[in-house]
Amino acid sequence: MTVAYDDAAAARPAVQAHGVGFRYRGEPGLPDDDATQPPPALSDVTLGIADGEFVVLCGQSGCGKTTFTRLLNGLIPSFHTGDLTGACTVYGLECGQAAIEEYAALVGSVFQNPKTQYFNAFVADELAFPCENAGWEPARIRGRVDEVAQRFGIAHLLDRSIFRLSGGEKQRIAVASACMLRPRLLVLDEPTSNLDRRAMDDLAALLGDIKRMGVTIVVAEHRLAWCAGLADRYVLFESGRIVGDHTAARFAAIPEARREAMGLRTLDVAPFRRRVDALAARWPERADAAANARAADDAPPAPPRPVESATAPGPTTSGPTPADSADTVARLRGTPLPESPAAPPAGPHAVPEPPLTDDRTDDTPPLPRQPAGAGTAAPATPGALLSTRGLVVGHRPAGRRWFRRRCTPDTGGFSRPIPDLDLFPGEIVGVMGHNGAGKSTLVRTLVGLARPLAGDVLRRGAAARPRTLMRAGFLVMQDVNYQLFADSVRGELLLGTTGEDDERAAIRAVCDAVLRELDLTGLADRHPMSLSGGQKQRTAIASALVCGKELIVLDEPTSGLDRRHMVQVGMLLRRLAERGKAVLVVTHDEELAAAWCDRILDLDAVPGRPERTPGRTAGQTNPIRPRSPIRQGDSR
Amino acid sequence: MSTVTTPAPPADAARGSHGLRLDPRAKLFLLLEANLLLFFHVGTPTEAVLTALFIVPLLLAGRVRSAVRFAVVYAALLGLSLIETPTSGGWAWLAIVPMLAVGIRMLLPCLITGAYAFTTTSPGEFTAALRRIHAPEAVVIPCIVVIRFFPTLREDYRHIRDAMALRGIPSGGGSPLRHPAQSLEYIIVPLLMNANTVAQDLSVAALTKGLGNPGRHTSMADIRMTPLDWAYMALCAVPFALFLTGVWR
Amino acid sequence: MTATTPTTTAAARGFARLSVPDLITIGVFTAVYFVLVAVCTFASAIAFAGFGSILLPALCALVSGCVYMLLVARLGKFGGITVMGLVMGLFFLVSGHFLLSFLANIVFAVAADLIAALGKYRSRIGILISYVVFSYGLTGPILPLWFMKDAYVAALEAKGKDAAYIDGVFAQVNTGSFWLAMGAILVCAVIGGWFGQRMMRKHFAKAGIV
Repeated sequence: MTVAYDDAAAARPAVQAHGVGFRYRGEPGLPDDDATQPPPALSDVTLGIADGEFVVLCGQSGCGKTTFTRLLNGLIPSFHTGDLTGACTVYGLECGQAAIEEYAALVGSVFQNPKTQYFNAFVADELAFPCENAGWEPARIRGRVDEVAQRFGIAHLLDRSIFRLSGGEKQRIAVASACMLRPRLLVLDEPTSNLDRRAMDDLAALLGDIKRMGVTIVVAEHRLAWCAGLADRYVLFESGRIVGDHTAARFAAIPEARREAMGLRTLDVAPFRRRVDALAARWPERADAAANARAADDAPPAPPRPVESATAPGPTTSGPTPADSADTVARLRGTPLPESPAAPPAGPHAVPEPPLTDDRTDDTPPLPRQPAGAGTAAPATPGALLSTRGLVVGHRPAGRRWFRRRCTPDTGGFSRPIPDLDLFPGEIVGVMGHNGAGKSTLVRTLVGLARPLAGDVLRRGAAARPRTLMRAGFLVMQDVNYQLFADSVRGELLLGTTGEDDERAAIRAVCDAVLRELDLTGLADRHPMSLSGGQKQRTAIASALVCGKELIVLDEPTSGLDRRHMVQVGMLLRRLAERGKAVLVVTHDEELAAAWCDRILDLDAVPGRPERTPGRTAGQTNPIRPRSPIRQGDSR
Repeated sequence: MSTVTTPAPPADAARGSHGLRLDPRAKLFLLLEANLLLFFHVGTPTEAVLTALFIVPLLLAGRVRSAVRFAVVYAALLGLSLIETPTSGGWAWLAIVPMLAVGIRMLLPCLITGAYAFTTTSPGEFTAALRRIHAPEAVVIPCIVVIRFFPTLREDYRHIRDAMALRGIPSGGGSPLRHPAQSLEYIIVPLLMNANTVAQDLSVAALTKGLGNPGRHTSMADIRMTPLDWAYMALCAVPFALFLTGVWR
Repeated sequence: MTATTPTTTAAARGFARLSVPDLITIGVFTAVYFVLVAVCTFASAIAFAGFGSILLPALCALVSGCVYMLLVARLGKFGGITVMGLVMGLFFLVSGHFLLSFLANIVFAVAADLIAALGKYRSRIGILISYVVFSYGLTGPILPLWFMKDAYVAALEAKGKDAAYIDGVFAQVNTGSFWLAMGAILVCAVIGGWFGQRMMRKHFAKAGIV
């Protein structure tokens, strides 16, 4: 019964799974089922996890790692129903026998989407929630809430509405709430898919603390880098089976290329980070984008290079050389990099140097250090599709509020000067920066959804009003579900197009061509909401192409994606650029940005910083970690 | 008051207790009394006195601006409804003014107590009150979810409007009148699709935190009826009782 | 070992205990419904000013068919509609509406639930009728219009006004408007419910959600 894996067979096993198989039964609306009779999500899974271990479950999406976490927190079979075989014990609770309420006291759970995993509107209520359900006395609950809030550094958030917190703060609350009942096991299902770099580092530090308290931790993740220092063990899933079980040391010793072949994201983002920083440091200097596109065109769509096992399997803890890093990035991209900027010899956590200080080539006009308001209208660069001049994005303080009370403590104003930027057809530009840096406000302004506070957006050299921008640009939202309206993919593409019969025929031809180009022909009659995330994304992009949009903006297109799907998104970006679209991608994903962006605007690195005006009841409190300095004051 | 008397830890005390506050159940009592007022058509003096009594807790809770606003509106309506209008001739239609004034004035006590209950009760206290009066979980859980889901809905709506604008689907102004069915479809279908997903995710979050526990559920908010609550309820009951017994009309 | 829950099996459709996920689903859809009602309230207040509020329930019935149909289809057991009416009533009450709106919501919701249960939450006609009945639950907030009128008439009479004069002023506000409001609800609820069922087939069934 007891199966010893590696050195994990400790005295007290936390989890004992023996020959577990599971197949989801077609409950309508479950995110997992896409066919009527899905293949088994797990088959013959045997795994032991020792008390206090930190185990990372990895593998491509659909490999069964999420299903396995549901087995650990009792959601299977209480909520996700299906056919379960084998035996799985979690701290003595027998899966299928014990009620999910019994799991609640022993297992804390954190899920993927920070927006939908809290049940109460306010932070303190959310923390108290597990204790209330367990029937604790009020005084004891309050004591525990304060204790946990202190320990997790969220005391200053207690009276806030969770709705108003950043993604990282929400995820911190989720972890704190999961720890309220002093669980023995903490299960996290892709907890970082919506987090920025800094929030991921925070989460890693937090989990390190929890691990030191002796809590067993199981994480199902695509992005492996953030918890590389914490994990004791990596369990690799494929098609519902365990195909690898490695100690951290052995896993790290596997050559990067082999891990890539397994479909895993990188364990070490440093090479990607270096390229991102190098690209960002050269902003706004532009490698010839058209040449880039041509180069990419000429190069045959090379399949991912075969795995070379030249790298000696051994503890390669010393960082890879710059050459090696360029290679890593190129491997992800599938084609050689167009031109590799000399990577500054920076450690992974080095602050990117502000631009304009060194090695500037002399053909670029100097960038104003602090773009003043309107008036400094430099002419648009020739050939640019969109240019901004002296742009300040943001929103004014909200006046009335719809939902009263203290729900909305920080609806203050926000403004952010943006360095002048030019977007060219055929070019992929990445926008990076921490949450709150103004990325989404910037892209909303560029596609005409928000008015600039000051300055101009020029389209082909002429100042454009938001309505014009809206016609020219398209934004693929992070949650693409809001953007799909029709009852079939084809209908989605034809939506809103009107015209006489002959025009209709032409539109249909365009539509068919776009469907072919984006591999959607086979799905043309499916309902958009029955598609997978990537297919939905392509459908939204297809609708933009049919409308003849010139600028395609994607907001976090790779959040929660495995390597294969991320590569698909990257190729899609490249194809859009080759079609002559200007592509702007907002992302936290260094791997995506490093491999596919021609230029990167890092809002953390360029001059100009966000400015906030507090809302009426701004209970601004000291942030737990040093953010980029936020100046408080009246910007009006 | 109730939250002040308990030795609350700092985090709890900080949680929005500006000034004196009644127990949620006392608020409910005021609300019901305001409703009964409407039902029994109490006389104008009784109504005026009680309205004043209903505005006082708003003041005490620190919501001065809304209290003053209510007081002014009520006084204005009271004045309007006392106007003698001509009973005949070309100006007889003016009778509609005092009639409307009376109508709105009679609704005001309900609105005042409602605003008081709605704006000064935290979701936690609301839940605690529901549990204390032994409301079944079948009512408590949907109530928590409704409060939790409102802001999400608003944001969803914004996203959908943005998406419609980007696709060139007319969404604002008169378009709901020109294409009512289409506008409704484009807005409500994505809204419901998302609501469905959120329901799934919330269920998962709630179940793993033991919401399905069959045992007793407690509340962190320590609500209790204080002498002040009782006294205020009694004070408000007096004019009403006097009216009902016919002592003072 | 096989784990099952009865929610999806045909035999258990109908009367079964509401689980926590069920209650959360009800809560979410109630929130959507509540917001629709609130939006309609503003819209009718602007569009018709004053007396327009007697058409409010009809307007709500017109737009909220989708929500109702989706809730019934997702839940398919007794209690969902009742709880929705109960929670709506509670929120009406707490937000300062008339006590009657609380009662009306509950009474009509229970009746609607029973009607839908007769068709085992499957019969299209049954659900449509149940939706019409449910829509009458929203008459609560407007019933005071007629109550207040009585009060004002009483006040006028007390002042010694002529009965004929009073009749003249209120002839229009009286039974005519009452039946107009009630009839409008019926028509609008049928249209709204039909639209909702169409959306169910067009979108939610096709997307595999119900």
